[in-house]
Amino acid sequence: MSRTAEGALILAAAMLGSFGVALVNIASRQAIGDDVALTFFVMITAFGALHAAVRRWAPNGSPYLIPLAALLTAVGLSEIYRLNPAMASLQKWWLLIGAGLGILALWGLSSGGTQLLRRYRYIMLLSALGLLVLPLLPQRWPLPIRGLAVNGSRLWVSIDLGVIQMRFQPGEIVKLLIVGFLASFLAERHEALAMRTRKFGPFELPEPRQMIPILVAWFASFGVMIYQRDLGASLLLFSTFIAMMYVATARNTYLVVGGGLFTLGSVAAWSAFTHVQTRLEAWLVPFEHYETTGYQISNGIFAMASGSLSGTGLGLGRPSLIAFAPTDFIFAAVGEELGLVGSVLILAIYALMVSVGMGIALRSRDLFRKLLAAGLTFSFGLQSLLIIGGIVRLFPLTGITLPFMSYGGSSLVSNLVLVALLVQISHEERV
Amino acid sequence: MNSPIRRLTLALLIGFCLLLVNVTYIQALATDRYRDDPRNARVQLARSERERGLILDRNDVVLANSEAQAGAGTFVRTYPFGGLLGHPVGFSSLLFGDRGLEQAYANDLRSKQDLTISNVIAGVLGNDLHPENIRLTIDVALQQAASEALAGQIGAVVAMDPSTGAILAYVSSPGFDPSVLVGATAGPAGDALDADPDEPLRDRVANELYPPGSIFKIITAAAALEFGEMTADSTFANPASLALPGSESTISNADGRPCGSGIEVTLARGFISSCNTTFAQAAMEIGAGALKSQAENFGFGVEIPFTFPVIPSSFSPVDLSDDLPALAQSAIGQRDVRVTPLHMALMAAGIANRGQIMVPYLVADIVDGDGKVISSTEPTVWRRAVNEATAAILLELMVQTVDSGTGTNARIDGIRVAGKTGTAENPGQPPHAWFVGFAPADQPTIAIAVIVEFGGVQGDEASGGRTAAPIAKETLERWLKP
Repeated sequence: MSRTAEGALILAAAMLGSFGVALVNIASRQAIGDDVALTFFVMITAFGALHAAVRRWAPNGSPYLIPLAALLTAVGLSEIYRLNPAMASLQKWWLLIGAGLGILALWGLSSGGTQLLRRYRYIMLLSALGLLVLPLLPQRWPLPIRGLAVNGSRLWVSIDLGVIQMRFQPGEIVKLLIVGFLASFLAERHEALAMRTRKFGPFELPEPRQMIPILVAWFASFGVMIYQRDLGASLLLFSTFIAMMYVATARNTYLVVGGGLFTLGSVAAWSAFTHVQTRLEAWLVPFEHYETTGYQISNGIFAMASGSLSGTGLGLGRPSLIAFAPTDFIFAAVGEELGLVGSVLILAIYALMVSVGMGIALRSRDLFRKLLAAGLTFSFGLQSLLIIGGIVRLFPLTGITLPFMSYGGSSLVSNLVLVALLVQISHEERV
Repeated sequence: MNSPIRRLTLALLIGFCLLLVNVTYIQALATDRYRDDPRNARVQLARSERERGLILDRNDVVLANSEAQAGAGTFVRTYPFGGLLGHPVGFSSLLFGDRGLEQAYANDLRSKQDLTISNVIAGVLGNDLHPENIRLTIDVALQQAASEALAGQIGAVVAMDPSTGAILAYVSSPGFDPSVLVGATAGPAGDALDADPDEPLRDRVANELYPPGSIFKIITAAAALEFGEMTADSTFANPASLALPGSESTISNADGRPCGSGIEVTLARGFISSCNTTFAQAAMEIGAGALKSQAENFGFGVEIPFTFPVIPSSFSPVDLSDDLPALAQSAIGQRDVRVTPLHMALMAAGIANRGQIMVPYLVADIVDGDGKVISSTEPTVWRRAVNEATAAILLELMVQTVDSGTGTNARIDGIRVAGKTGTAENPGQPPHAWFVGFAPADQPTIAIAVIVEFGGVQGDEASGGRTAAPIAKETLERWLKP
């Protein structure tokens, strides 16, 4: 597929986004307003600029990822606009910022390549750890940067500079930094980690010393979960970590040990924390606990079932009956209004993006880039899988965002950077 | 290093496939269960946010209203007459769904302002999206009179225009108030109605079978006239008790005495005084085949075309040709003969309409918000029960029954009323009291069937003439002398 086709598909996605906004206007019997034009303008500016930057700095990069991301953004933006136009306005700003940061990444890596990142591995690790504990800052203290609890989870950081007030979820950025660190770390150490020194029945275990990082990651992940009450993010971090260890060493042992530690941690969390028990109950029998814990999931299911095969049509359902519709439950809202057709389409796009990303990893000759591409794609895919799985009751519900579709600045920005990095990696492999 | 990547990719893609399975289950396979769950607020909102069409009586009295809630933008279904019209109006309930006319005409009553894209466009273009209203054939004053005449006894009254089939009154007692079933908190009220041993939710007009007793003699008499080449003056033996051939059993008259003082008795006398011995002999003379055919001409064993499903009446599940005792008992409406009150009203209406039974109907017109008629029900003939000559003879016999026979309690000053009483025996329990008839006999405008289950308040003392005829009289009087 050519770069020109990529540009055409981006144009189509931008038109789709503004068409969605127009449909919402018609459905609510308002005049088709400025928002239609504005949506088109922002979409074409953000993704068009990203496209131009790719043409300039990564002309051999994969042409599939940016149009697919644009398509998801178009559907997500229409649905957010339908639920809350004010949120959609904010999301447009985040889209522009995210595209800007993506372009910045492409430009920054254009001369030195992704290898540049390799050098800053400990800076990445430290900033990741710093960002992780940021939400634990006191909610009231004199400094302008504070932790913030939203809906019982301490995932947020608010920055209050008087003129500018904003809040963000550092977890999304931490994800990128950790993957970067691990890719760099494992690219160097993979041989040592893969060395088999002890036999343990059928298992060949590496030197106990080599197990230290995995234990550290385990403690860090579950520490985050305990303090921030964030099941999703900790599971995502830990799984990404294990997956990258597995890719680097090709040792099944890491999967087994990782799985074992995860089970252990989950059981411990389940017996120690009522909110974990609540989540489990809401997953298994939501309709029996409709009034309390099952309310959120039940309503997501009701919404999707009401959409049935073809959906109510954009703007014609009642997705505002779903709690947290623009963030955690955006998939259910889209499912109600676009039906099974829309749900399947969304799932197909995510599966495609995962395939493209993993394809880039497979084709990478350089170990660091291979690990980076695999790690980024895996975290992206698993995150989509976990949140959608939580809505359709494949897994317990976790409060993480759906990449490109959920409302939320940090998520949109970090996923745009993620896609820019993948394009850059694929470019470097084809130079 | 590539094979772990491939495995991870495979694992993720399998995950997405499982998502597809779950999504398909929710949005395609188990959709109805989740979508129609009463806890799904969409169900509630869909009902309350849209105006529902009115149900009007024949004079445009509102029987079911859709009241806008001030400031809330929602509508609440109200039934101004409460329990008077639970049957046949029914209800439109969040928890219990739709019943009665609310169900049968749901498509007309539902607002067109729903959220399909074509209707949204129609709304933008300024089309009228108000729901349609339905105008019934019911007269609420007559319904009230019939209900009051029944005075809370268990049973049914159904009245209709014999020349069109239009139902004028449709009382099933005990009734229920549909208002209590409408809201989201109607659960206990609905459960209580369900558990009530008197079964107020059962439509006794169309969905309950009773033995007809002597009102079935109309059909036996018709069979004698049409198939047996008899006349009203044909004579029969007049014993106090008739021994039935080939059995130990006997048939006697209600008072245990012969039918009048003569040695012989005419068919007419037997009809007017409702003598079992006379009709048992007539039936055995004409045979089971003739009686069965006549019953079928009146619509026994046939589904009655109506707004609601009606249980077909049945004459006998077995062939009675070789079972004269059973035939004799069937001829007087006992044994296995079972009928619905609606069907018995149609039987009377058939005699009133010179032998032709019209298709019964409840909805006269469907009208739009401005009262303009969109469509009307055209009266149609259901079947011919008897020929005109037979109908004329039966009419005369029924007039005399009310004038001087068992039905004198249905007499109305200045109006010739035709009727037939029935007292259907229930082994070990009080009898059902029946009356069917019509008036005025020369130009009938109303036909009626009344049943009081198990004798009502009179219990063992009840009979068609004593218990049911006065109820018919009050109802007919309300219609004929408003």
